Amino acid sequence: MLAKSEFHEEGFELAMMSWLPENVSTYGGQIDYLFYLIYYITAAALIIVTVLMVAFLIVYRQRAGRKAVYIHGNTALEVTWTVVPAVILLLLSFMSISTWGEIKIYAPPAEYEVRVVGKQFNWDVFHPGPDGKLGTKDDIKIENEVHVPVDKVVHVQLQASDVIHSFFVPNFRVKQDAVPGRNILVWFEVTKPGKYELPCAELCGFGHSGMLGWVFVHTPEDYEKFLKENQG
Amino acid sequence: MAREATARSSSGDGVETLAHASAFGGGPPPPSQAEPVISNARLGLMMFIGAEVMFFAGLIGAFLVLRLSSEVWPPPAQPRLPVWITGFNTVVLLCSGLAMHRASLAARLRDRLRLSGWLLATAVLGALFLCIQGYEWVRLIGFGLTMRSGLYGSTFYALIGLHGLHVLGALVWVGVVWFLARQGSYASDQAAGVELCAMYWMFVVALWPVLYGLVYLY
Amino acid sequence: MSEAAASAHADHGHHEPAGFWSHYVFSTDHKMIGRQFLFLGLFMLIIGGTLAMLIRWQLAWPETEVPGMGWVPEPTMYEGIIPPNTYNMLFTMHATIMIFFVVMPVMVGGFGNFLIPIMIGAKDMAFPLLNMLSFWVGAVAGVIMVASFFVVGGAAAGGWTSYTPLTGDAVFTGVNWGINLWVLSLFVLAFSSLMGSINYITTVINMRAPGMTYFRMPLSIWSLFITAILLLLALPVLTAALGMLFFDRVFATNFFLPAGGMPLLWQHLFWFFGHPEVYILVLPAMGVTSDILSVFSRKPIFGYRAMAYSMIAIAFLSWIVWGHHMFLSGMNPLLGTAFMLTTMVIAVPSAIKTFNWLGTLWGGSIRFTVPLLFAIGFVSNFVIGGLSGIFMASTPVDIFIHDTYFIVAHFHYVVAGIIFAMFAAIYFWFPKMFGRMMNSTWGIVHFIGTYIFFNLTFFPMHFLGVGGHMRRIYNPMQYEYLEQFGDMNVFITISAFLLAISQIPFIVNFVWSLFAGEKASENPWEANTLEWSAPSPPPHGNFATTPQVYRGPYEYSVPGVEEDWLPQDRPLGAAAATGH
Ligand code: HEA
Ligand code: HEA
Ligand code: CUA
Ligand SMILES: [Cu+2]
Repeated sequence: MLAKSEFHEEGFELAMMSWLPENVSTYGGQIDYLFYLIYYITAAALIIVTVLMVAFLIVYRQRAGRKAVYIHGNTALEVTWTVVPAVILLLLSFMSISTWGEIKIYAPPAEYEVRVVGKQFNWDVFHPGPDGKLGTKDDIKIENEVHVPVDKVVHVQLQASDVIHSFFVPNFRVKQDAVPGRNILVWFEVTKPGKYELPCAELCGFGHSGMLGWVFVHTPEDYEKFLKENQG
Repeated sequence: MAREATARSSSGDGVETLAHASAFGGGPPPPSQAEPVISNARLGLMMFIGAEVMFFAGLIGAFLVLRLSSEVWPPPAQPRLPVWITGFNTVVLLCSGLAMHRASLAARLRDRLRLSGWLLATAVLGALFLCIQGYEWVRLIGFGLTMRSGLYGSTFYALIGLHGLHVLGALVWVGVVWFLARQGSYASDQAAGVELCAMYWMFVVALWPVLYGLVYLY
Repeated sequence: MSEAAASAHADHGHHEPAGFWSHYVFSTDHKMIGRQFLFLGLFMLIIGGTLAMLIRWQLAWPETEVPGMGWVPEPTMYEGIIPPNTYNMLFTMHATIMIFFVVMPVMVGGFGNFLIPIMIGAKDMAFPLLNMLSFWVGAVAGVIMVASFFVVGGAAAGGWTSYTPLTGDAVFTGVNWGINLWVLSLFVLAFSSLMGSINYITTVINMRAPGMTYFRMPLSIWSLFITAILLLLALPVLTAALGMLFFDRVFATNFFLPAGGMPLLWQHLFWFFGHPEVYILVLPAMGVTSDILSVFSRKPIFGYRAMAYSMIAIAFLSWIVWGHHMFLSGMNPLLGTAFMLTTMVIAVPSAIKTFNWLGTLWGGSIRFTVPLLFAIGFVSNFVIGGLSGIFMASTPVDIFIHDTYFIVAHFHYVVAGIIFAMFAAIYFWFPKMFGRMMNSTWGIVHFIGTYIFFNLTFFPMHFLGVGGHMRRIYNPMQYEYLEQFGDMNVFITISAFLLAISQIPFIVNFVWSLFAGEKASENPWEANTLEWSAPSPPPHGNFATTPQVYRGPYEYSVPGVEEDWLPQDRPLGAAAATGH
């Protein structure tokens, strides 16, 4: 099997998958890998079923002098087409479990922390400021802008102040609902500096559409600059 | 299919349809057909009770989730629920279940007098249950436990109140059956009317200790 | 209903109530109630479809004037321009109407009522009066739902899933009575479906004709029976949740609000109902598809028992997969893993059904009638929708595609795909329901248009989803990374309009055939099941004599029998063809 990260570059991009936004996070590749894998499996299943169906429709169309086969089933066949999909599906589950665990269950220790609070219809973002700690006086609050360093494990403390919102960064393969009254941990590590869109993905009222922020991923120098600009 | 064993015997029977003659009860099955194991009405009521169980399961599930996720329960500023008097009330309702049991026995024996007597006892005990509960509610509201005073109040009134509504509904039914029994219905061969009512009453009674245990004691 | 039906009644001379009201309106005859549900559902389909067209217009040409909508008063629309909150109302009501007032009334209410008694050889339902009430209560629910468009503040705007806290308090959506009525309508509808399901279950258990054992029931009946059980048990949970939501909204309690309550509790309760609900929608479609495929392949259904058991398996498993809608809701991720496993498992019985349908076609002598085409269309769409479900079942993949158009594509292939089974059933049973045939040339035109434009509408939505296009957004052009999808949205919208236009042949055909279609014989499709041995349309009481059932429903092309069909109630001399 192909190494997970290479998968994308192998030139396998078929129609549907070519729309996938560029991935810039460390674990995004694993998600994409599973995505592709399922894509090929389901595409094969679809082709098999469709081809058989069309073939049967043509071959077994009503014709003079031929009577349909009188048969009620076939145990061997039926067992096969129960067991084969079952095995494939269970394999898929087990492959998904580790990735899911890595993304949502075992977060690596934080190297940088921000707090993001969703409210109708903005993201309030609290950065740690020069002391590098959240919840202190020098925290930098900016609306709809998340500033994070590149190549660092970022922990987002995700909160909401009124209704449920959802923190979605397509390029990071990150999505997590923000629930009022809860503090939910989201983590990611970005490998490429740049500016990425952060839409809200959960219906949150009439302003849901257009509830949009940006994630700025800085090189260390850029990040220093950002800190300076926002002091005082 | 090799299931001939369950097949019912048959013989042609007339076209006469009794459907609208006794529409609500479903009418008797065609004469030649073997009597179903459980009559339509009984089966229908069982389904209905099944749905009711799911309804209360939804509420109880919600109650449990809410209560397990609160740090302190009951919340400090809220009045305590009257455990003892409601315990007595539980006994009252259970007794009404017993009375209903006697009533349906009497119906089966075609004992008209006993039937209406026990039905009356059921109804009186049921009404007593509701009265005691109503009285307690008035007091609790006086102490400041209301639907809006927090989760404790909301879940309490929702669960207990919806059960109370069911008791009220069942009580009306018992009342009707009692009235009919006094008029002399059920005297002949139809104990079914009483038994259905009994079944529903038993459901309402049996649900109560569960709620009492969860809401008052646990 | 036409003179045909009327004269059939006259011939029969039952003491059936003759008045207009008791015959057409407050009828207790299961067939009339079935027709009433059918008409209700088709009428609502036009409303739900029109809402979909408005949605599509907005997505293709955001914030432009919708042609012909200039008359709609503010603040619903501004000279034909749809404002954001109205857009939210549109998809909320579109989904609610399509699911609760189109698919459920037609498939469960309509065909359930029409088919159950007559296919098991009963004269009517177990509780005819309850049955009538079920329709009228359902109709009242429909009226309440439609009325909610006209109250101050507009209709419900919280999505058909109505997540709290958004819907828990009017301040969040700005919609007060709209959502209250939405809750009320579904609450009332729950009573309708309760009465219906009690009736169906009792009828199937107690009223089968002599010889109609469980494993001689057609799969349509199996599916409706299982659906009724799911309805019976699932709807009360929704009712309980709706009750609490109503309290939150109207009496300011806090069940689902963060102040004391739990926002996620609503999602758990809703999806605990909601997932069985999607199978409630699809099972009857699977049942009628099985019957129709077998009839027109002139062949016994492949793996009859496996078909029945897989539906039972689906019904059981559907109670333990609800969490797959909540992978990213903040629910414990370990639970996510558990729900992924159960979700993968529930795909297996669906696979069994798919392959059994293929097996049924294999070796057949396939007659290309309109019902067959639509049944094939259903299978083909179901496979696409089912396979896209596998993507979401995988938790990591769902991180990306959750709440995108990939989901929208998935569920339209399955739920809107049911519309194909619905059409198949209508074309198939129309002769029995109304005593006339539908025109098959126009039926084929209808099929081709519907099939092509359905796929052109919904398949590209997968691409949108893969590109990260969120669902429930009013204007995709507000996002830079979605600008590239402008053209695709226009393409989808045009396809959707053509899909709607493709329904016009159906409407014309349906109405025309009602009054002037060719008279149908008793058994125009040469099918085996009991309804085809009753007159078309069947009189009150259905059968002249209670039929005696001798065999299973799928004995087609039996060796040694002259014709290629063998009705369930036809006695055969000797031991020939006692089934399998
Ligand atoms: C009739 C309705 C219907 C049906 C039948 C299904 C069937 C399935 N659904 Fe779907 N679903 C919906 C209606 C339905 N769904 C709706 C309405 C929503 C969205 C609700 C909302 O949020 O508004 C939804 C959402 C939804 C989600 C949540 C997505 C999200 O919000 O992020 C998930 C996740 O697991 C899911 C999974 C599945 C799966 C695995 C099946 C399986 O049962 C499918 C099984 C079928 C097959 C797999 C195809 C046939 C099999 C083969 C050809 C064999 C070979 C296959 C393999 C080896 C893979 N569905
Ligand atoms: C049974 C269920 C069902 C059915 C049949 C449909 C049918 C259709 N749906 Fe629907 N849809 C849902 C269930 C369904 N949908 C659900 C559950 C949602 C999620 C809502 C939410 O997020 O809360 C949704 C959401 C949804 C969206 C996403 C909105 C968003 O997230 O922002 C879109 C967008 O394209 C859409 C489009 C369509 C279209 C084009 C059809 C077409 O197939 C309709 C075609 C039918 C007709 C048009 C009617 C018949 C035609 C005539 C009678 C001719 C005359 C009429 C005209 C010319 C107007 N639907
Ligand atoms: Cu915030 Cu949608
Ligand atoms: Cu589901």
